[in-house]
Amino acid sequence: MKSGKFEPNIVAFTCNWCSYGSADLAGISRIQHPPNAKVIRLMCSGRVDPVMVIESFKNGADGVMVTGCHIGDCHYSTGNYRTKVRFSALQKAMKVMGLHPDRLKLLWASASEGQQWAEGIIEMTSRIREIGPNPINGGGLVK
Amino acid sequence: MTVAGDKIDYSAMNPTETALVIGGGVAGMQAALDIADQNYQVVLVEKTPSVGGVMAMLDKTFPTLDCSACILTPRLSEVSRHPNIKLLTYSEVTEITGEAGDFRVKVLKKARKVLEDKCSGCGDCVPHCPIQVKNEFDQGLGYRKAIYIGFPQSTPLIYTVDTDNCIKCELCVKSCERDAIDLTMEDEEIEIPVGAIIIATGYELFDVSKYRRLGYGRFKNVINALEYERLINASGPTGGNLMRLSDGKIPKSIGFVQCVGARDVKEGVPYCSRVCCMYGVKNAVMAKELQHENVKDVTVYYADIRAYGKGFEEFYQMSKKRFGIKFIRGRVAEINEDSKTGDVFISAENTETSELLEQKHELVVLCPGILPPRDLKELADKVGLNVGPDGFIAIEHPASNPVDTNIPGVYVAGCAESAKDIPDSVAAGSAAAMRASITLSKGGAS
Amino acid sequence: MSGEEEPKVGVFICHCGHNIGGTVDVESVAQNAAHYPNVVYSTDFMFMCSDAGQALIREKIEEKGLNRVVVASCSPRMHEPTFRRVVEEAGVNRYCFEQVNLREHVSWCHAREPKKATVKADDLVRMSTARASLLVPLEIKTVSIEPHALVLGGGVAGLRATVDIGSRGFNVTLVEKEANFGGYLRNLSVMYPNNENADDVIGRLVKEAESLEKVKMLTNSEIIDFEGHIGNFEAKIKNSKTGKTTKHNFGTVIVTTGFEPFEPEGYYCYGENPNIITLAEFEKIRKKGPLLRISDGKPPKNLLFIGCVGSREEDVKGHQHCSRYCCTAMTKAAADIQDECDEVILLYDDIRTFGRGHEEIHRMARTKHVVFSKFGEKKPKVIVKDDEIIVKWRDDLSCANMTYKPDMLVLTTGMVPPKTSEAVGKLFGLTRSGDGFYNEEHIKLAPLTTHTAGVMIAGAAQSAKDTTDSTTQASGAAVKAVSLMVRKTVEIESTVSVVDEALCSSCHTCVTACPYGAIAMGTTTDPPVAFVTEAKCHGCGTCAAGCPSGAIIMHHSTDEQIMTMLEALLQLSTLQGSEG
Repeated sequence: MKSGKFEPNIVAFTCNWCSYGSADLAGISRIQHPPNAKVIRLMCSGRVDPVMVIESFKNGADGVMVTGCHIGDCHYSTGNYRTKVRFSALQKAMKVMGLHPDRLKLLWASASEGQQWAEGIIEMTSRIREIGPNPINGGGLVK
Repeated sequence: MTVAGDKIDYSAMNPTETALVIGGGVAGMQAALDIADQNYQVVLVEKTPSVGGVMAMLDKTFPTLDCSACILTPRLSEVSRHPNIKLLTYSEVTEITGEAGDFRVKVLKKARKVLEDKCSGCGDCVPHCPIQVKNEFDQGLGYRKAIYIGFPQSTPLIYTVDTDNCIKCELCVKSCERDAIDLTMEDEEIEIPVGAIIIATGYELFDVSKYRRLGYGRFKNVINALEYERLINASGPTGGNLMRLSDGKIPKSIGFVQCVGARDVKEGVPYCSRVCCMYGVKNAVMAKELQHENVKDVTVYYADIRAYGKGFEEFYQMSKKRFGIKFIRGRVAEINEDSKTGDVFISAENTETSELLEQKHELVVLCPGILPPRDLKELADKVGLNVGPDGFIAIEHPASNPVDTNIPGVYVAGCAESAKDIPDSVAAGSAAAMRASITLSKGGAS
Repeated sequence: MSGEEEPKVGVFICHCGHNIGGTVDVESVAQNAAHYPNVVYSTDFMFMCSDAGQALIREKIEEKGLNRVVVASCSPRMHEPTFRRVVEEAGVNRYCFEQVNLREHVSWCHAREPKKATVKADDLVRMSTARASLLVPLEIKTVSIEPHALVLGGGVAGLRATVDIGSRGFNVTLVEKEANFGGYLRNLSVMYPNNENADDVIGRLVKEAESLEKVKMLTNSEIIDFEGHIGNFEAKIKNSKTGKTTKHNFGTVIVTTGFEPFEPEGYYCYGENPNIITLAEFEKIRKKGPLLRISDGKPPKNLLFIGCVGSREEDVKGHQHCSRYCCTAMTKAAADIQDECDEVILLYDDIRTFGRGHEEIHRMARTKHVVFSKFGEKKPKVIVKDDEIIVKWRDDLSCANMTYKPDMLVLTTGMVPPKTSEAVGKLFGLTRSGDGFYNEEHIKLAPLTTHTAGVMIAGAAQSAKDTTDSTTQASGAAVKAVSLMVRKTVEIESTVSVVDEALCSSCHTCVTACPYGAIAMGTTTDPPVAFVTEAKCHGCGTCAAGCPSGAIIMHHSTDEQIMTMLEALLQLSTLQGSEG
């Protein structure tokens, strides 16, 4: 199916305790947001191996979100400090790969922040709509 | 598993190891589970054919809008599968004698006319039954046959023959491949020795037709809140499509009237029913949520909005901001109907502006308060329990011993003690289980 | 039950009545899923979680020989345990179950875009069926429960829980940071709804607790360190008087750390005139004797109460909530003091006397001619001029502007979490809601347990509430602790990490990454390789993400299991996706 309009395809890694809960709460509170982001639930954002993010882009993701508990609130006490460090390294890698830095986003959201989750998805989706499809491998939800 | 009707010799149960829970709503189920988890036996007696109570009838729950059936259904199966819980549905307690550690309880097991160990819940009998009557579970808005289950998640999943309406044509008997239907079955009385008792008989709703001026029973488009719950429920009579009963039209404008049969000395209900404000706000939000393109106006008429619990105030604010629900502070004086269109007019004073209003709505939902169940007094008298002036079970020391009654070994959970929302009922169910298990562990000594 | 067998995936898609089925084209998603790799059976059903739905899963496992099950329904945070139990009853290991969230993450939040929602549902199902094919059965582990409970916080809730656990015959240690038990109730005079003396309530519970052999009560004590997992926690308790620290083992914990009355600095000239006091201060004075003006020791002729001070403030973080007890407490205080004064005025927004007997107190206050005036959206203004307190507000019901000069002004402040709540929360792994109180496991049906297995909450620690509601929760939390101790053992998650010794390059990255010190370097090999102490591993996977050699296998969250979801996500759905 060919469609003129570009719809970004976004990968969202969440932790089990905070950001997955915030995504649940956004749904429970019926806060409408675009369906472009799809969640991969891990136990901790610290589980996100930078390789997974790079592979996402290589395989055509238009955007990747790494999400977890606020710093200091990690269910595994310090797991998300690692996330932060690895994220900084990934930001540098974006340049090397020739990708727009805004394609990669870090979002902290506690389980009571459904609004923040929805806003994060809305922002990310509209930003990537502006930037356009992933230059490495096509991208988009429809081809 | 006991639902399949394994023959249990109830009279041989050990009272020091067994508790009785009366009422299979959310509080009673919680109490039963928390006692059974301690390796004690529990006999759970429920008057209707299924556990679940009023919560099973609700659509969504405040303040998170979780769907009631979704969170309750697993709890229903947990209760029915627990090896330490013996479920006696369609049964009533008729007599209690004895004392803590050694009560004798007589239970009338009403004739279900369907063999519990044979019925598989397939429902093949239903199309053969020629009798159609109003379904109580749907508040009489939908229909069921004389052989029926009230709702799809009915637990245990065993059909019941409604003796009052059955014409004994035996078509169902012939249709059942498992020979599970026996129309000659008779009521059975069993005696059970138990060591502790939990009263969790729940509540009933105020009969809103008592306020003639509010038009319930006279005007088709004036309904009560539980009827509204069934109307918006996917397994309800309209399949979850919000519509008027008079003409099937989607109402563009809905009014919710709060405190109907609550905080009213004249009607004998001086107390606040605790949950109505929040279920009113929730139902108002659901109207917008379900029919956001059609429902233009939702107005709540209230005295005080009592959004007291965790997340309630936040939900109330959200209902105004995000869903645009209008709130008018004022008691409704009168409701009238335009007999041609079926539309309803609410006359009320907006006490914040001193304006007299007459507002047209296409549907009006009256939000009734909570009453003690009709037979609570009778049950209390059987045991010698004190009842408060409000008709609910009395508590001597509400601050320190909130679930202890005046009789040692007898505890109370949920709305039998006074109106409560779901989490408070669940907490009270657990609390009563704690106290009852202490009684059991000491063999009744206090 | 070997991981080597050919995966046979069964997919079950739930309508959840209208909840999912009203938005997502469930039938199409189910039909499409039948074509995904290793899927041998795919269907849709009205309520998967109902008895009939559960029976369907068990039946199909047997009939089709399924060894992996995917249920696409609601959030796994609610029903993962339910479905795990169902597949296990049919002989499939619980870790071979995978849940897709089509309700919270799809139908509820994309309700206006049914076609796109259907495509997303298909995407999520495709991802999970791919993952399911790579899931492996894990051994189910149990741990023993130390038959000793810790109750933290000696207020009325903590005392109630302690008495219950002790009476049931289990060891319990109550830890209170102050010198006395009773918490906030020690400041109160007579309590609603039955005019009971607060001291009598506390006295009764303390006496009962002290009479129990299995109860140990510590004052001036704080938990300074806490580690371990359900059944086997280790706490370090420090006595602030002696400075001594002791170690204790506990199987379960109940947190009843209560609340603090809000100090209304910056509100209504609090602090600018000694006769402006809070309801908490009013209670302290009344407990000792008659109410006298702080400035001159004379009895006040008239009083004014203002409700909702620091509560229900929509734009102030931590103050949005209703504090639940203050309306009734204020109404009772006003009614009681009316007997000793000429005039008592009470300013409110809504009067929330919702509990049993509370509306009756409200009515009594009005019968005694306490003047109730609703200020509504616009809060009152207080001016302190010389020695006078001037209160100005708009009475919402008469639409009139009012001015009043009370002899004393009582500010009814709400409940806020104690200042220590963040630190205590971290110690026990508890998350907090927007108002700062601890989160329960499920707001409706699991209000007393938390996401940290073995740790319960009760009373005002969970959210603002009065004594009756607190002690009810306390008994309820106690039964959760007792059930665990009666059963003696409990199953725990098998999702721990292991090191593939052949791949380990001895870099130590995982050792520093682990938040729990669960990974160390072995001493038996040269060069040394890392090893994981399973009992200490909490399963976060931070080590696996950091390992440069791919030597760490994070069970149930392996690199392959995650990567396959990614690949599936980035293949496009064959369902049509544009709206209209």
